[in-house]
Amino acid sequence: MQRLLIEKIEHRIIVGILSFLGIMILVGWIAINENGRMQAFEQQYEARAIERGAYLYNTNCSECHATDGLGLVGRAPGLNNPYLFGHDFLGSIRRERDSLERELLGEVTAARQAEIEARMVALDADEADIRAQMQTAIDNGYNPDSPDRLVTVGWGGTLDSYLLTTLIHGRPLSGLYWPTGQGMSAWSQTAGGPLRTDQLEDLTAFILNYDKGSNWTIEDLNAVVQFPIEPVDPSTVVIGDQPEAIGTDVDAILAELVNYTGDPVNGQQIYNTAPYVCSSCHMNAAVAPLTELTWAVANGERLEDPLLAGYTPEQYLVESIVAPNDYIVPGYPANVMTQNFGERMPYQDLADILAYLQSYDTGVEAAAAN
Amino acid sequence: MSILPFPSFLDDVKEKGIRRAVFEGVNEVTERLTAGMNLQDIREALRGEAASRKPNPRLQPHADGFWLHMRPSYFHKSVTGVYPEFRLGWLSTYFVFFETITGIFLMVFYTPSPDFAYANMLNIMSNVPLGQFMRDLHRLGAEAMVLIVTLHMLRTFFTASYKKPRQFTWFTGVVLLALTFFLSFTGYLLPWDQLALWAVTIGASMVEAAPPEVVGTNLNLLLRGGPEIGANGLLRFYLLHVVAVPALLFIFVGVHYYKVVVHGHSLPPREENIGEDTAKRVPLDKRVYFIPDILTSELMWIGVTTLILVILVTWFFHAPLENHADPQSTPLGTTAPWYFLWIQGALKLGDKVIWGIIFPTVFVVFLMVMPYLDTTPSRRYAHRRFMISLGLFLTSSITVLSYMGLPEFGVVNPADTTILHELTMEPAHNHVGALRPVPYDELRSGMYTTRQFAAEPGQDVGAVVNAFNLEIQNDGSDEFVRGFLASDRHLDLGNPLAFSAVPVDAPELMHVLDEFYHELEAHGDELHNAWGAVLISDAQPNLKRVDAIIYWQQVETDENGRPVLDANGEPIPMLDANGEPIHRVASEDIFIHRDAQYFNAPGV
Repeated sequence: MQRLLIEKIEHRIIVGILSFLGIMILVGWIAINENGRMQAFEQQYEARAIERGAYLYNTNCSECHATDGLGLVGRAPGLNNPYLFGHDFLGSIRRERDSLERELLGEVTAARQAEIEARMVALDADEADIRAQMQTAIDNGYNPDSPDRLVTVGWGGTLDSYLLTTLIHGRPLSGLYWPTGQGMSAWSQTAGGPLRTDQLEDLTAFILNYDKGSNWTIEDLNAVVQFPIEPVDPSTVVIGDQPEAIGTDVDAILAELVNYTGDPVNGQQIYNTAPYVCSSCHMNAAVAPLTELTWAVANGERLEDPLLAGYTPEQYLVESIVAPNDYIVPGYPANVMTQNFGERMPYQDLADILAYLQSYDTGVEAAAAN
Repeated sequence: MSILPFPSFLDDVKEKGIRRAVFEGVNEVTERLTAGMNLQDIREALRGEAASRKPNPRLQPHADGFWLHMRPSYFHKSVTGVYPEFRLGWLSTYFVFFETITGIFLMVFYTPSPDFAYANMLNIMSNVPLGQFMRDLHRLGAEAMVLIVTLHMLRTFFTASYKKPRQFTWFTGVVLLALTFFLSFTGYLLPWDQLALWAVTIGASMVEAAPPEVVGTNLNLLLRGGPEIGANGLLRFYLLHVVAVPALLFIFVGVHYYKVVVHGHSLPPREENIGEDTAKRVPLDKRVYFIPDILTSELMWIGVTTLILVILVTWFFHAPLENHADPQSTPLGTTAPWYFLWIQGALKLGDKVIWGIIFPTVFVVFLMVMPYLDTTPSRRYAHRRFMISLGLFLTSSITVLSYMGLPEFGVVNPADTTILHELTMEPAHNHVGALRPVPYDELRSGMYTTRQFAAEPGQDVGAVVNAFNLEIQNDGSDEFVRGFLASDRHLDLGNPLAFSAVPVDAPELMHVLDEFYHELEAHGDELHNAWGAVLISDAQPNLKRVDAIIYWQQVETDENGRPVLDANGEPIPMLDANGEPIHRVASEDIFIHRDAQYFNAPGV
């Protein structure tokens, strides 16, 4: 083997200098292309965020907002909706009328005045025509004079931030004024929901991708099944006496629970809707144990665990609800389930949920008939 | 008389003239900076001439300077070539500095918190000029460093350079190897993507097996900062990665280097008499001085190695970045980082404590004490048949165990899960589901079936597909599949499935379905009488929904999930209480956006 691989010192110096030059040239070349590369990455990332958002939407949101994003009657508003994106079908007519009216305030010749008045009549006819075309949407709750959701709710931020904050907090009171009585629950983990912030950002990207910009048509508007329902005046809402919450003492809860009879049908309703929305997690075995066969599994498999020796299935389920971290089903992480159900849940709700879970195998209707 | 109240440079200028005064000033500063070499000495050294004054000024920097006091002032001619060192020790040190520099750049743009870490990665990739370049270099350097340090150890083993008097040098080397692994492993978590989270979760869970249970559990808690890796765990890994492990590493590098200065580089085994160590007694005619030969050589190699790395990240290597870490969703085929695959492979041999903890610990401890066990004086290859066989045996064992650590080995997933995963998976491990890279314009809305590819050559494809449509409506499978899609996948089709032939101008979609068909055929025993389908529908402007579906007849399986075959080699269909065959359906749905830019890894 040759000494030092390159024998002559001047050759080593030349190779070193050439390598250094090569590095500089390549780094320079990369730097020149950097803007394009960064843009391409961002475009690709946004596209993939929309894909992930679509998947999350399909799993978590389509139940209420419909797979096609058009909403479900009485359940949730459409998001594939020109109203959400503030598209004003009457905007150009309004703007033209405004400018003509302003012109009339100044000095105009009689001929011009007649021309303007004729144009106003034509605009009125156009507007009436468009309003007539929108009749389906108007019947569904659309107000052509307030065509922008953000303006209607007085939102100062962007549509992006509006969607994201709505997803984070949900609409805690919306059950009060939606016909089904189901409100939108919080979806962010920071607000007690199941999703991470980056997932909510993906969902937002997906919803924003419904935007057709200036290509929205009146057919799109008429296709919307449900428009938002405005909240009631909070001062008119009567909540009444709140029943006592169950607390976290499992023995005390079980002792008191015998005084209540559970209704499985009502339990199903409670299980699937706000404020608890148990089903939003217990529908996907990767996130939480499935609702299906809860009672049978609790009674059989779970109680065989030595940690649960001597438990009854009721005791196990009550403890799982009020103190979720006391026993974690193998394969699932701790701290995922909401920790404060004990402070929020009245006895009747608990009894109903237990009745629902117990009836799951035989079917809710059959249990109710019994 | 002096201009200033004390002797100054200006007096020099007055006395000697400006040129000479400046030259002498520069010369003096140079001599102080280099700890002994003035301009003339440097010029002579770079010209390859002998030093013109005595004592030799080229030895001064080694005696008086900080940086060179830990380098020998001359090497033996026999260790300056490629053999026996292959520059591996030098390269290891090169990577220590290389990783430090690129790492400091990345630190500027990084926050060790699960809320920000992944967003920081996106920022580095999309908003920091040269951000991707630095990240690629850092990642490539990390992988290369693990490899180089390991090879350095192997080289030292095979040339028996660990023998007396270098036992302790070897010991510090094993410590440095472990620190290198740990540095790379702690860095793995920082991007906070799926790859990072799950590789580290698997790696860290090995700690949990440490006996007794109370030790394992608490070690695991300490490392992860909680039952799962979360904010605490990420912060701990970050601090280990940027503070604790590098600090230890620099200390041990110092010791390692000092030992090299003290003992010299060991010569090739054949050049010494048995039991002798002549590295420090280099005859004058065999000396290669550090200044200028080794120094220029090393500076050149810094340039060449960096250039190679830059070329690699420009065209051939990009650091992976998968989706955001999700503790609730374990990706199929999760592995530890490649240099820990051997432990993962060993775990498949049996008990977690024996193979996950005791075996690696014994192995590392054996490496550390080996020079004190193998005290035979000869370093010649011919005299070390046992040790060299042992080395080859251990190297091949680790290689085989690493292979066994791969998810392909010994882990049986149901065929339907595997096939659907191969069709739809998100990009991971240089691999992407086959449907994703299909050009967007070929994803025409419609329903396509693998049955089309069962057509005999010359048969009308359209007729085959139409016959299939009738067949599934008559045997009830149409209703069964649609019911499944509506209840499990939120896909309400309303009308019966109506398959059509794949458009001929969609060759890549055609290719994917063809592959899908052959995969089903290949797993025909497990997926008995199976057919597959791909449903493509519009979700949004520029966004398609793609459902991949497999429908099959369930067969009897053994406890490993493999189908049981009867005497004729045929699978045995399972029957329900009424004696009817049991059918199964499985599906995966993904969404594909026009701009998503999925591509097949080169060569896949």
